Amino acid sequence: MANFQRRRLDNGINVFIHPTDKFKTILVQLIFHRRLHKEEVTQSALLPSILQRGSKNYPTRQKLSSALEELYGTELMSEVIKKGERQLISYSMELVHDQYLPGENQLLRKGLEIFKDLLTNPLLEGNAFRADYVKQEKEQHERVIKGIINDKIAYSVERCLQEMCQAEPFSIFKYGTVEQLAQETPKSLYDFYRRFMQETPADLHVIGDLDVEKTFALIEKLFNYQRGEDLAVPDTQVDIQPREVRYVKEEMDVNQGKLVLGYRTGLSYGDEDYFALLMYNGILGSFPHSKLFQNVREKASLAYYAYSRLEKHKGLMVISSGIESDNYERTLEIIHRQVQAMKEGDFSQEDLDNTRSGLRNQFLVEEDNPYAIINRTLDGMLVGQVWETDELLQRLNAVTRDDIVRVAENIKLDTVYFLTGIGGV
Amino acid sequence: MKTQIIEQSLLKEKIYWRRVEPGLKVFVLPKKGYNKKYATYSANFGSINSRFIVEGENEELQVPDGVAHFLEHKLFEDEEGNAFDRFAVLGASSNAFTNFTNTAYLFSTTENFYRCLDLLLDFVQTPYFTDESVEREKGIIGQEIRMYEDNPQWRLFFNLLGALYQYHPVKIDIAGTIESINQINKEILYKCYRTFYHPSNMAVFVVGDVDVERVLDQVEANIQNRNYRPLGEIKRLFPTEPPEIAKEYVEQSLAVSQPLLNIGFKEQDLGYDGPLLLRREIATDMMLDIVFGSSSKLYNELYEEGLIDDEFDTGYVAEKDFGHSVIGGETSDPDKLFERLVEGIKQAQLDGISAAAFEHQRRKAMGEFLKSFNSLEFIANNFPAYYFKKINFFDYLQVLHEVTLDEVNQRLQDHLALDRMARSVIWPKTR
Repeated sequence: MANFQRRRLDNGINVFIHPTDKFKTILVQLIFHRRLHKEEVTQSALLPSILQRGSKNYPTRQKLSSALEELYGTELMSEVIKKGERQLISYSMELVHDQYLPGENQLLRKGLEIFKDLLTNPLLEGNAFRADYVKQEKEQHERVIKGIINDKIAYSVERCLQEMCQAEPFSIFKYGTVEQLAQETPKSLYDFYRRFMQETPADLHVIGDLDVEKTFALIEKLFNYQRGEDLAVPDTQVDIQPREVRYVKEEMDVNQGKLVLGYRTGLSYGDEDYFALLMYNGILGSFPHSKLFQNVREKASLAYYAYSRLEKHKGLMVISSGIESDNYERTLEIIHRQVQAMKEGDFSQEDLDNTRSGLRNQFLVEEDNPYAIINRTLDGMLVGQVWETDELLQRLNAVTRDDIVRVAENIKLDTVYFLTGIGGV
Repeated sequence: MKTQIIEQSLLKEKIYWRRVEPGLKVFVLPKKGYNKKYATYSANFGSINSRFIVEGENEELQVPDGVAHFLEHKLFEDEEGNAFDRFAVLGASSNAFTNFTNTAYLFSTTENFYRCLDLLLDFVQTPYFTDESVEREKGIIGQEIRMYEDNPQWRLFFNLLGALYQYHPVKIDIAGTIESINQINKEILYKCYRTFYHPSNMAVFVVGDVDVERVLDQVEANIQNRNYRPLGEIKRLFPTEPPEIAKEYVEQSLAVSQPLLNIGFKEQDLGYDGPLLLRREIATDMMLDIVFGSSSKLYNELYEEGLIDDEFDTGYVAEKDFGHSVIGGETSDPDKLFERLVEGIKQAQLDGISAAAFEHQRRKAMGEFLKSFNSLEFIANNFPAYYFKKINFFDYLQVLHEVTLDEVNQRLQDHLALDRMARSVIWPKTR
């Protein structure tokens, strides 16, 4: 992977420049880190929408879109991400590199100037955001919060994790709550914005065919705005022992039932045994050759999808499958058998080899995607250790069968969630 | 055959290609420095090809809906097991997809590329279907269909197609229905295979840091070893689709948080493919984005009125025998939004598109096309699909440059014809 250069602006923002000539674009991503906190999560999640309605120099959405589009279809996207018990507010801008545009040579500067204006120069009415923008964006945000039910797969996974972690900050929905939203005013949000910009630790990544010094100088000129002390983000609680397994059943007017099982692994990204956990998860359920796909789908013909995945910062594993509601018991039984087989070391050398190759492939292709390169750096920063691809591969290669069985022994089922049709089982 | 080159100087990309007897086209786009190597093997056979004359026979055959997709699932299986597993052994991941007009098999890998390429060619050319495995697949695809029944966007879209088209099979869900897939058996799959999976109805596309000549030679050797006979003409049969839509309005209730609205326009300018079709596609896409895109006046008014969110979108499909645009998204009030969209269209048709908006859109479309070339998947999935429509996808930038304001204005008048418009609504189910 192209090595990145890490610098720091005087105001405390971390700058990561990743020079590479592989891509046709330059990607800029600014990521703010907040603790996942009930009282603040709604405000943080709402802020980007308000800022993107307009700044002093681009006072309407239409003017802003138009100015960005003029830069060859540039878009400024915001996103709310949850990694462990941490809420990330991300803004990203992907621009065509000027070398593909005859006659252009200032595209990055022009794009960043708009970006900066949007972030640091909001449109105000007195000491508050514009009231009409806030009203409209609150309504939009309420729809985002309520819209969670529209994607039944994502909804069932979210609900399982909510039930499972109900006593932990992890259960907080990244977009916040309708109740909290109702309390926000143009003034309260502006006050929060000012505090947010002062105290929220931020990373700025730039990736593309770049000169490091020139790029850094440009960023320094635009983003070295006045800030205060960083507000630290507390560590995510990983080591939690489940009590008795909880069974949650929820009815909704759906055709297909969604079965979701939540497990505690006790391991997160920074742990020595994390790579053994990755192998475990791969053999169990993250590939088409994995046990879940083979047994739930191919052999029993019960489902179209059946997979497991990790939440690597919180140390959770989720198994998810869409089935006929009548097949709940049968599917659950097959899943339990696969998890049990892992504990007993009942997997072949071929399972091991295929999983290792599949994961190696995944690490290597991350280098071909600018978003994935940034994400890996981000994951690494969260545990204080950014691994290069070579190191990742070495650690993956070092995992033995015994390591996997040892990890398997500590994987504990916490919650079984089932979304089913009304009047179903 | 000698290797030919297609070059796009602005993109700084080259495609090398060869015609391999009996008629397979093989394309290679080298991407220096990428770890990933990605290959697709596509057949010009999709969900709409449900009526045809089987190769070597005279009888017309009507197959159950969802056959192309079913065949895609089953082709991975062979006498010794499953191609998925053999890609896994090589460290590759494989997949496939079926759309209205094509079926594509693909893999992505960082190692053992040349062995994976042979595996791809081999498994697609080795159909092996048994009664037992066909039956088992019905359960799996049945759940795929059930999953889509709960997907509001998918239902909204197919309900709309059902309103736009009276007979054309594009109105039918790609996977078919639980009832239609239950009629599928191995004989039907073999008949479809024999008709459509001939090299001259297929294309290979490889992208990544590969040795161009080696790839081309390898594909050539693999195909030529199999002694294919030349294929006669494939007779694809379609019902006569009248220009009129089937119905103006269709609605359904699902467990959603708020309503969804799509409006669609049925294309009238049909019957040709090639560069002219690409030109119409580009002009129509530009028109839709100018009228409904995020920098348009209409979009911003609707947004401020709380009638749309930032997922509101347009799309246009241009095939030789059918075409339609789709406009919409989630909304608090689908009736009001519908009314406002119709007003907006009428106003746009009165005002016309300005030269400034047109040039602005051209820059935007150019940038978006350039950006998408970061993605190997984008290139390898699109190029063959356009090749089957007799379009060189690399011509996109040139055609974008040639399209005129008059053409785009003409599309605004012709394509957005309110008497060829249908409306689809999903309402929240109230408990």
